[in-house]
Amino acid sequence: MSAGGARALVVLAALAVLFAIPQFTSHEYVLALGVSFAMFSVLSGGLNLVYGYTGLLSFAQVGFFGIGGYAAALLVTELGWSLLTGAAAGGLLAAAVGLVIGYSSLRLSRHAFAIVSLSFALLCLIVARDWVSLTRGAMGIPGLPAPVLDLPGGTRWRIAQPADFYYLLFGFAVFAHAVIYLVVTSRLGRAMRAIKLNEPLAQSQGINPLAYKLLAIALSALLAGIVGGLFVFYLTIVDPSIFDFYYTETMLIMVIIGGPGSFWGVLLASAVLAALPDLLRFTTDLRMVLYGAVLIAAMLLFPSGVGGWLQQRRIARWRRPQPASQ
Amino acid sequence: MDLNFYAQLLLNGIVIGVIYALIAMGLSLIFGVLEIVNFAHGEFYMLGAMLAYFLTVNAGLGYWPTVLIVVAVAVCVGYVLYEALLASMRGANFERSILLTLGLSMVLQNGAVFLFTTTPKMVASSLSYSNILLGGLRLSLSRLYALGLGLAAFAALYLILYRTRIGKAMRGVAQSRDAALMVGIDPRAVSRLAVAIGIGLSGLAGAALAPVYAVHPLMGFSFVFKAFAIIIIGGLGNVSGAAIAAVVLGILESLIGGFLPLVMVDALVFVSMIAVLLLRPQGLFGRGVRV
Amino acid sequence: MTATRPLLEVRGLSKHYFGLTAVDDLSFEVDAGAVVGLIGPNGSGKSTTIDCISGFQPSDAGTWRLEDLDLTGQPPHRIARAGLTRTFQTVRAYDDMTLLENLCVAVQESDTVGWLQALGRGPRLRRAEAAAEARGRDLLATVGLAEYAEAPAAILSYGQRKLLAIAASMMARPRLVVLDEPVAGVNPTMIRHIEQVIHKLNAEGVTLLIVEHNVDFIMSLCSRVIVLDAGRKIAEGPPGLIRSDARVLAAYLGKARAAELESGHG
Repeated sequence: MSAGGARALVVLAALAVLFAIPQFTSHEYVLALGVSFAMFSVLSGGLNLVYGYTGLLSFAQVGFFGIGGYAAALLVTELGWSLLTGAAAGGLLAAAVGLVIGYSSLRLSRHAFAIVSLSFALLCLIVARDWVSLTRGAMGIPGLPAPVLDLPGGTRWRIAQPADFYYLLFGFAVFAHAVIYLVVTSRLGRAMRAIKLNEPLAQSQGINPLAYKLLAIALSALLAGIVGGLFVFYLTIVDPSIFDFYYTETMLIMVIIGGPGSFWGVLLASAVLAALPDLLRFTTDLRMVLYGAVLIAAMLLFPSGVGGWLQQRRIARWRRPQPASQ
Repeated sequence: MDLNFYAQLLLNGIVIGVIYALIAMGLSLIFGVLEIVNFAHGEFYMLGAMLAYFLTVNAGLGYWPTVLIVVAVAVCVGYVLYEALLASMRGANFERSILLTLGLSMVLQNGAVFLFTTTPKMVASSLSYSNILLGGLRLSLSRLYALGLGLAAFAALYLILYRTRIGKAMRGVAQSRDAALMVGIDPRAVSRLAVAIGIGLSGLAGAALAPVYAVHPLMGFSFVFKAFAIIIIGGLGNVSGAAIAAVVLGILESLIGGFLPLVMVDALVFVSMIAVLLLRPQGLFGRGVRV
Repeated sequence: MTATRPLLEVRGLSKHYFGLTAVDDLSFEVDAGAVVGLIGPNGSGKSTTIDCISGFQPSDAGTWRLEDLDLTGQPPHRIARAGLTRTFQTVRAYDDMTLLENLCVAVQESDTVGWLQALGRGPRLRRAEAAAEARGRDLLATVGLAEYAEAPAAILSYGQRKLLAIAASMMARPRLVVLDEPVAGVNPTMIRHIEQVIHKLNAEGVTLLIVEHNVDFIMSLCSRVIVLDAGRKIAEGPPGLIRSDARVLAAYLGKARAAELESGHG
């Protein structure tokens, strides 16, 4: 069996196992981990697309996440929209915002974009906390109702139990990753990698860097916005803490350890790191100190993460002297 | 309206603006010379304030000795920081260095929270309650001292950048790295000094402001994001631009805070940054280290 | 007598850096099918000239066109799509990609496959990719790197990277290729090899503008040579004439030595 075929089998098996978990346990703790994994995997997958594949460091993901959350919550509670349309609208809004900040700052430099994305995330927090008429301020919008989805076949699915949210977010995470996979294995992903590896060379070959960068930003924002819209209903509340820097730090660690540009590496890292905090039983502060130390060590010693290390080994294999033939 | 009220706001704004400037100038200098955005910059401001707190409250030192010690320690920490972490980032791409300093900030900030808890501490000394009266204006002595220190720091920085050889070298590197290397400037020495000065300025700001506001581990966090926006507004790498933008921001925040809701004040700097990016992307004053 | 339009026409190109004049009112032409050399001592403005016409540096004045297309002020990717490609002095390649991938990237923006079609993986895309791969293997064979087609570009030697860069510049069937110091820092065997490669490519109809320091290389390869000094064109013509041109000698050797040489011929 080819390497690709074997990998596909592993993926399918893993999906089957993950899908079956709620059938075997209704333990809320396990299901909560699953929801957390699904949510973080979408966030870090999007960040990987922007930073790992296209080479743009961005802190804006959490901003898109929260915008999607607030938009969905407001559309559902104020205008009576369904969950899916609300979340989709949240995603589209986040994507539009992403295009605006991307276009305005990328014209200047990558440095400016990094700083602007950071400021944008903080601005979101400030607006959520202080623009009370829009966002209800620090109290947020509590008591989000359990969403009801109309499934094909006439049945209505009331999403209230942890298991229900597990399937909802898990399902979307699979969809999101399928989309990301489709893009990164296409020539669009190839162009993004080219831009990251050597932007002037890519330009001299007719590749428009701005277009691809904006594509990566918009797509990651769209997915983050939608998952935000779904996640806040799991929390049953949306408040300014949805913009917490903690999300940014966590998804960054996932991308760094998994390896920027490594689709499977980042996915695996998000699984391990979503489960880790509870396994380690540290207080949040110490965990963040640990993450910070890991980040420093990674930047000093192995900036390309696990995925990059595997890539280096592949290259090293080619360098080994070929046995003299004939 | 009451002229005194405006004048009071203006004065307070200048003081906070000068503090913003100390932090932003250090950040700008480090970016201009090393092309590194120092995410942990706010943490050195916080550590400076923390050290000032302990020296004043636990060791019973006076204001001036405290400030002197904090600045000396901060400059040394800057040297160590460069040699231990940043020196190996030379040549690495920009993203790696920002993530490195982000990691450092996470360690310092959360470490401080773990060790000292988030309870704000007040530096209560004889200074805290002394005020001087100028006409109808009240200026607390600690604020006045902070202002004085800030202006002294500006002057010192000007002297270094314009009157010393290594200062000229710093300006050269910030303007054009390749040209500076060709002329034979030692990038290590220049970078080391830039980091030492930058961290020193942050520490000074922390020590100067410790008697004025409450000291707690998260105080650097909010400042640093504003500092990032300030250096974009002033022009990346432009030290004087950062200073001017910082003081103007301090004044505007103070004036606006007197009349408009809080959200406007906090958001002001970020909205201004977006406006600058859309209208004049190279910053109000353009790139390059100029004082 | 038909006046055939030159392929590349540069008029009045000027560029200043911080008060230094890098290029000063430069005008020249390159005819279709020719191999033209651009030489000059250090700092004469050769690199700046090609950075400007390929869109990597903004010019302060001047225009340049590729046949009927005005390329003045266009960004690099538009100029490339218009048919003007280039290589770089600091040899550039996508190290983590295989040689074949390197070449396929180089041509992907010049076919008519749009983004949606690229995602849809339909027959149009497959045909385009197959054609790219075939051409890639072809060019790799021409430059002599066929055996490394599936190897990551990181393993190539310096000279081999230069060959890869030349191959990549040809992938999209450009009308004009600008080679920036194609043989700098390369051993004599490789120089001869690159010379042969360039001959082969020119025979297939590609027009070339070559910037080089290696004067012998230029003289043996080019039908016409343009000489720059201090940002200005000081001579142009066939190699034989340029070789003994007094101004060229003065620029390279200094006036005293040039006069010495001339009086020697006297």
